Amino acid sequence: MTGRVATEQEAQEGSFYEFARTRDPALRDELIAANLDLARQLARRFANRGEPQDDLVQVASLALVKAVDRFDPDRGVAFSSFAVTSIVGELKRHFRDRGWAVRAPRRIQELYLELGHHIEQLSQELGRAPNVVELAKASNSSVDAVLEALEAGRGYRTSSLDAPDRDDQTLAESLGSDDPQFIHVDDRSVLARALQGLSERDQFILRLRFVDGLTQSEIAARLKVSQMQISRLLAASLQSLREAFAEQGPSEE
Amino acid sequence: MIETFDDLARTEESESIELVFPARADLVVLARFTAATIAARAGFDVEEIEDLRLAVDELCVSFGPMDDRACIRMELGRSDDTVTIVASFDQVPSPAAGGAAKTLDAVSWEQAIELSERLLDSLTDAHGRETRAGRPTAWLRKRHAAADR
Repeated sequence: MTGRVATEQEAQEGSFYEFARTRDPALRDELIAANLDLARQLARRFANRGEPQDDLVQVASLALVKAVDRFDPDRGVAFSSFAVTSIVGELKRHFRDRGWAVRAPRRIQELYLELGHHIEQLSQELGRAPNVVELAKASNSSVDAVLEALEAGRGYRTSSLDAPDRDDQTLAESLGSDDPQFIHVDDRSVLARALQGLSERDQFILRLRFVDGLTQSEIAARLKVSQMQISRLLAASLQSLREAFAEQGPSEE
Repeated sequence: MIETFDDLARTEESESIELVFPARADLVVLARFTAATIAARAGFDVEEIEDLRLAVDELCVSFGPMDDRACIRMELGRSDDTVTIVASFDQVPSPAAGGAAKTLDAVSWEQAIELSERLLDSLTDAHGRETRAGRPTAWLRKRHAAADR
């Protein structure tokens, strides 16, 4: 250990003692900033596993913030050791929650994630959604593999409402304010009643698709997310509606 | 080697595939996958294929809650740029259950059907429900939209 590093660590240790005593927000920010590289390094170790790197950095950074808040310097453990355990735990939890609900072969998982990029790119180039042959060519895969991957995509968990998508904007932010007319479009409609059991986001997307008649791509563009994400959300919402009907029906009438 | 849509479509001008499977939710994937394969051969784009997958789910649930004592018989056909799917429900009588599958109450059933029909309106070009040879049957037809352009 060089003298400079040792001095920095000692200074940081002193800062943690001070933060534990004062809970000074400015000092908290300094401690977080001083350890952000550690969070980024750990996020990089989880790269290429099917989750966007920006998401991983965000998860690791939030875990770092929690670690700074919870760290107790009196326990005699270095902050870096405590933080590594906390951040890695949070990253693993993220994969557990966001990963594949139904285990698909790795090549299919990777192809599915790759297809998302090709669909977006080809849609822009062609001015329409691509067909399967075009996707197979772009991804250097067979038509069968593309079809298999698209079906397997149903096993990929839908993103959290607060998970950033494109442009770092969350889906929740892109929904904007409540649209009071949405639920009351037709109160007599069974669809309107069944929709009320879903989240605001899912209701909004279902309405855009089935009431307003927008295509998946048009909804994706409006909400600034990918068409594949809309596809997964629609499938999951309809599944929820079917389950609601199967269990008790949507109405108490 | 399939390199263009024409190559894919040329594999057969029209085709018909019949599937029979127990009415279990985890087996509907067979119907979705077959429908997607046929739709790809008809030149459907990925969005149309996704719509068809959702429509297949709706067809399968339009007979009521899944019950693996019964089976779903599905005929999937392609003619040029149009896919047609006809699904019928073969109830297998079960003495222990008095021959009846799990059922929804009448109000919930009507609502489920209304919802399914509303969704199928958006997802397909035409669809319907009827009784054929004494079996409840639901069908749909979806045409590749680019064929209209």
